[in-house]
Amino acid sequence: MRKFLAVVKREYVQRVRSRMFVALTILGPLLLILFAVVPGLLFSLKAGGATRLAIIDQTPEAKLYERLKSALSEDESAQHPDFAASVNANTRERIERAGDSLSGSFVTERVDLNGRSLDDVGKELNRRIAADELDGYVVLPADILQNPESMPAYYGRNVGDVITRSQIQERLNLAVNRQRLVLAGVDEQRLNSLSQPVELETYPVNEKGESGERDSGAGFVMVFIVGFSIYLTILLYGQVILGAVVEEKETRIAEILFSSINSFPLMMGKIIGVSLVALTQLAIWGGTFVIATKFLLGASGMQDVNVPHLPPLFAVYFLLFFLLGYFLYASLYALIGSMVTTTQEGGQLAMPVVLLLVFGFYLAFPVIRSPSSPLAFWVSMVPFFAPITMIIRIVSQTPPLWEIVLSLFIGLVTVLGVLFLTARIYRVGMLMYGKRATIPEVLRWIRHS
Amino acid sequence: MSNSLATVKLEQVTKRFGEFSAVSDLSLAVYPGRIYGLLGPNGAGKTTTIRMIVNITAPDAGRIELFGKQITAELQDRIGYLPEERGLYKKMKIGEQIKFFATLKSVNRNGLDQRIDSWLERVKLKEWKNKKATELSKGMQQKAQFITAVLHDPDLLILDEPFSGLDPINVELLKEIILELKAAGKTIIFSTHQMEVAEKICDDICLLDRSRKIFEGSLRDVKRSFGRNSLALRLVGGESVLSDRSLISSLNRHADEIEALLTPGADVQVLLRELIKAGARIEKFEMIEPSLHDIFITKVTENQ
Repeated sequence: MRKFLAVVKREYVQRVRSRMFVALTILGPLLLILFAVVPGLLFSLKAGGATRLAIIDQTPEAKLYERLKSALSEDESAQHPDFAASVNANTRERIERAGDSLSGSFVTERVDLNGRSLDDVGKELNRRIAADELDGYVVLPADILQNPESMPAYYGRNVGDVITRSQIQERLNLAVNRQRLVLAGVDEQRLNSLSQPVELETYPVNEKGESGERDSGAGFVMVFIVGFSIYLTILLYGQVILGAVVEEKETRIAEILFSSINSFPLMMGKIIGVSLVALTQLAIWGGTFVIATKFLLGASGMQDVNVPHLPPLFAVYFLLFFLLGYFLYASLYALIGSMVTTTQEGGQLAMPVVLLLVFGFYLAFPVIRSPSSPLAFWVSMVPFFAPITMIIRIVSQTPPLWEIVLSLFIGLVTVLGVLFLTARIYRVGMLMYGKRATIPEVLRWIRHS
Repeated sequence: MSNSLATVKLEQVTKRFGEFSAVSDLSLAVYPGRIYGLLGPNGAGKTTTIRMIVNITAPDAGRIELFGKQITAELQDRIGYLPEERGLYKKMKIGEQIKFFATLKSVNRNGLDQRIDSWLERVKLKEWKNKKATELSKGMQQKAQFITAVLHDPDLLILDEPFSGLDPINVELLKEIILELKAAGKTIIFSTHQMEVAEKICDDICLLDRSRKIFEGSLRDVKRSFGRNSLALRLVGGESVLSDRSLISSLNRHADEIEALLTPGADVQVLLRELIKAGARIEKFEMIEPSLHDIFITKVTENQ
């Protein structure tokens, strides 16, 4: 027991003191923000400034041009309040602000036919696009305001830029609709008041059938943070286990260790020691999060942004499912570490394990959308996915207790099975030098040891 | 000697890896207060034998006794082991590593720090105590590792190629410590393929070749049984006589001397006469004890 504790202590103390731990503790939350915001940002990001757009307005008196011009320069968020509605309010604002400066802007220019044929003007504009003086042009047919069948046309260099394309379409639609209403006799002021966009307020209903306070989108963030921190921590600390096992094998420390302590307490000591490191990190993150939200919300007076309520046993569930996932993946990593000779080899062999974990993370998205669906039920029963998917279900729409217990039970049995196999392979694999163990060899070790 | 209780006793031990036999039907006994040389070429089965003695792997057949008892995990604490392939945690301070390994050997916490300090001083590593392993030279790491093998004051010390990669000064330092431990009554198993080293410090030897024991006994007895059939020569010319297989069975040429092994049954006087007849200028012609190297080569060749 003292030997086992010595292994646990060494793993814990050495790692918590390391620079990597400190860096990760600080970088983790940044990574989370990066994950939440960057994909959206990147997608809406359009390098190269405003889109230069020529408009050939063939309608009588070219009335539509002015309206389209103003629609194109209007604030984007006013026009599509549902944009990125699945993302929380703060993130949405951030994306949109970035989007405005990077992608939302258009520079328009009016082109008149002045008696020339549309073909001639088109050729002229095509040439300017080729010379990079223009990004595209829109042709508005003369009868567009009267004839519902009439179709405007967009010519552009990069028609693959679907975001710009749909922005143009959306705003053209708005401009044409408004102009049609004006033609039908609606005056401008009424038009503005009638076309105010509608916002949707969201209220959660809990398991007791009571509806809660207005949801600001913070619920989604909460679910995301919880799922992501489990995912990130398991991924990172699984790699730590892999590295630790490979180091002992590569430097042949294993030989000395095995001459002093049994392989099983050694392996368990290692896994448990590292798990304590991971829990320390999670505790720091969690503590900071709680303090930060309390402080920030209190200071900024944002009383309406209520932090979503968590099930009372949430901390317990979180701990259990985290440990379940951690032990499952850590023992797989230990198994791989004992089979390979170098860290690089370990990285290659660990790919399937990483993919399994990443897949579990992506399953989080359908589960967030419908936490009580059959899909959500089944994936939260698979031990490899349960740590992320079940905790998401618990946070978003707590399932019946028996489902949680069943998932934990399946997980526990799997963990014990994997640990049993790993222990057998570990004992032999750690003393095999020179070459990577093959699958038939590993199977033989399992049978014979 | 064989009447006293053996520290280590192997009886018909066999270890196989798949089709390959690493150790076949090996019996041996190591007695207290002796330095026992486990000798043999690479791949003879030395490391596998040692691993079974320290209870890292179990034999497929046969019996291993330590201190008169069947081996158990508890007995591991009475063994100090310096493996051939050695390593330390790269990013851990030397002092902490030694302490960690000592804890794994159930060393009492009281006075542990003082003991670590005195050992570090003994091997001249005191100022490196708080450095990480990666900052130490290979030789220094090896000495640090040596401390982990002896710090818990083991009754049985197993050293697998302890001098490889050390400079002569450090070799002398370790040798001195090993001989002190022997004087203190510890049993030492010493594995090497460097016969010159074994010759200088071993009391008993066991020759292994291709998984089998080919000889076991005290170094004195081995040498006596071989008789004085080796010659140290320094001469110019006479090459035709030296290559005569009926007189000389093997030659070992050094910088300015030749070590020759007489063919069994050949007369040394005949050899001398032939050399003079062939016109060789002889500067040295001396009968010497066979070196362990020669014995080893002869035994291994006989075994083939």
